[in-house]
Amino acid sequence: MTTTDPPLLVCDSVAKSFGSLTAVRQLSFTAGRGEILGVGGPNGAGKTTLFEVMSGLNPATSGRVLLEGRDITHASPEAICHAGIARTFQLNACFDSLTVRENVEVGAIFGRSGRMLPNLRPSPEMQQATDDALDLVGLSARQGLVAGSLPVLDRKLLMVAGAMATRPKLLLMDEPVGGLTHAETDLMMATVRRIAATGVTIILIEHVMRFLVALSDRVMILHHGERIYEGSAAGLVQDRRVIDVYLGEGASARLAALLREGRHEPA
Amino acid sequence: MTPLRRDIAASIALVAAMAVVPLIFDTRYVITQLTVFFIWGIVVTQWNLVLGVAGIFSLAQMALFAVGAYGTAMLAYYGGMAMVPAMVIASLATVGVSLVIGFACLRLKGPYVALLTLAIAQMLYLIVVNDTGCFTNPPSGCLPLLGGVRGFSRFGDLGFRDLLGSKWFVGHYYVGLGLLLVAQVFCAFLIRGPLGLAFRALRDNPGYAMSRGVGRLKYQLWVFGLSAFFTGLAGAFYVAHFGVVGPIVFSVSMLLFLLAMIVVGGMGTVWGPLLGAAVLMIADEGLREVGDWREIGLGLVLAGFVILLPRGLVGLRRR
Ligand SMILES: Nc1ncnc2c1ncn2[C@@H]1O[C@H](COP(=O)(O)OP(=O)(O)OP(=O)(O)O)[C@@H](O)[C@H]1O
Ligand SMILES: [Mg+2]
Repeated sequence: MTTTDPPLLVCDSVAKSFGSLTAVRQLSFTAGRGEILGVGGPNGAGKTTLFEVMSGLNPATSGRVLLEGRDITHASPEAICHAGIARTFQLNACFDSLTVRENVEVGAIFGRSGRMLPNLRPSPEMQQATDDALDLVGLSARQGLVAGSLPVLDRKLLMVAGAMATRPKLLLMDEPVGGLTHAETDLMMATVRRIAATGVTIILIEHVMRFLVALSDRVMILHHGERIYEGSAAGLVQDRRVIDVYLGEGASARLAALLREGRHEPA
Repeated sequence: MTPLRRDIAASIALVAAMAVVPLIFDTRYVITQLTVFFIWGIVVTQWNLVLGVAGIFSLAQMALFAVGAYGTAMLAYYGGMAMVPAMVIASLATVGVSLVIGFACLRLKGPYVALLTLAIAQMLYLIVVNDTGCFTNPPSGCLPLLGGVRGFSRFGDLGFRDLLGSKWFVGHYYVGLGLLLVAQVFCAFLIRGPLGLAFRALRDNPGYAMSRGVGRLKYQLWVFGLSAFFTGLAGAFYVAHFGVVGPIVFSVSMLLFLLAMIVVGGMGTVWGPLLGAAVLMIADEGLREVGDWREIGLGLVLAGFVILLPRGLVGLRRR
């Protein structure tokens, strides 16, 4: 990525309040093409709310969200999906009574354009997008199962596949490894790397710092709806405010050790 | 064979089998009851699209049926229109009414949709029966614009009396069978295709569906509009078949009877509603002798299925 590229996403003084509670305050940031931006912060910091705003499910109270220069602040969720933003949810969302394949087909068929009437049957490209997305997350062999019966890791992977089937430019992932085991976290990490390798920009919310620092090109920490840190993952452990309000001394020391180890690992 | 091909093949096989029935039994009672089964079959397959497939708890189905029925009767009675064009126009009018209802229900959830649609149906019923001023004065006596409590009769037919003489009802049997075939194949296409996928996705998780590009307004209007056409047509055919229509089509027991068909057969499935219609109509034949107990029996069947077999008879097989 060169610095002359205009950013893919621009959030300009975005604010969101629920009555008297301000969940996101005057937040401005950008995400460049091909970048992985990590977002952290304590519970209730406004991370999920930020995704709600960007995906149109709960539009901003003020400020603007631009995707490729286009104002999508007040666009509907489906229009934002068509514009190229797909998200996954913190609470594993899925179409429980649909099969795994049908879950992904929803994204492949409806995620690309808002035609008045869809085709009578999925087009070959839609079939291909479905197959590719299932392959990407490794769910091809289980595509006939009913989604509601899947274990938690598979549900999370299925959400990622559904998002990827829409062929997004920007993927928003809300706690993709929350509640997963160490090994499962590694598997999700490999999946995110495969997605990033296809050139998709990713914004990642995660409390699991191991995951967040390993993947993020840049990290932003929110607290009470405001940014308290933005910069490299390595800089997190040197930032007094981040240690005080979010990481704590213990976690911060462990993270510092992890970062030192990571540096010695062959690339 | 894909599920869709299987459904179409099954529909054709079923219709072929039904097509020989009049050649074997020509008892008027049997043929007429089967014709009524075709009418209710169409109504429940279409209602199932809204209720089971899209998961929108609309109870306006019989009001839509009534729009098709009354529309046809009024066009024929007042306008002297031939049956077939009157039926088509009335069915299109049903689509229009249904789109308005679908739009009104858009922001409502679950039980509120049921309440609003029931209120709309009741309102239409009250408009019809409370309309007592004479609009015309035919020899049979004062007739309000909407037919009042008496309804409409004497307005032309499909022409089978001229064609088949005393066997005219066999003509109606085949028309009903043909309409049911078209309605059922249409449902299978819809349920198995991308539109059905959109309806089911919105039913399972509206927020998630919207963020995957499925527009709620658009698909809610599609399901209301599409299912209304054949519902209106079933109402229109009911009028053509019986030659009368009255406010009984709005009755709650009728609505419950049809709802029970869907629940017993299996909501949201391709074949459940027809299976349920067959089972309940046969059961109803059996309960004819017991009079008032019929409604109680129906209520018990409905409650029993909701509690014990929420996925209906079709759901039994899949377990
Ligand atoms: N729909 C809503 N109505 C009212 N308040 C809300 C709503 N959604 C979020 N909030 C409030 O906004 C604040 C930010 O919540 P949000 O879910 O964005 O936090 P988060 O950073 O994602 O936290 P976590 O790490 O626990 O997921 C919280 O105080 C929350 O209670
Ligand atoms: Mg959150």
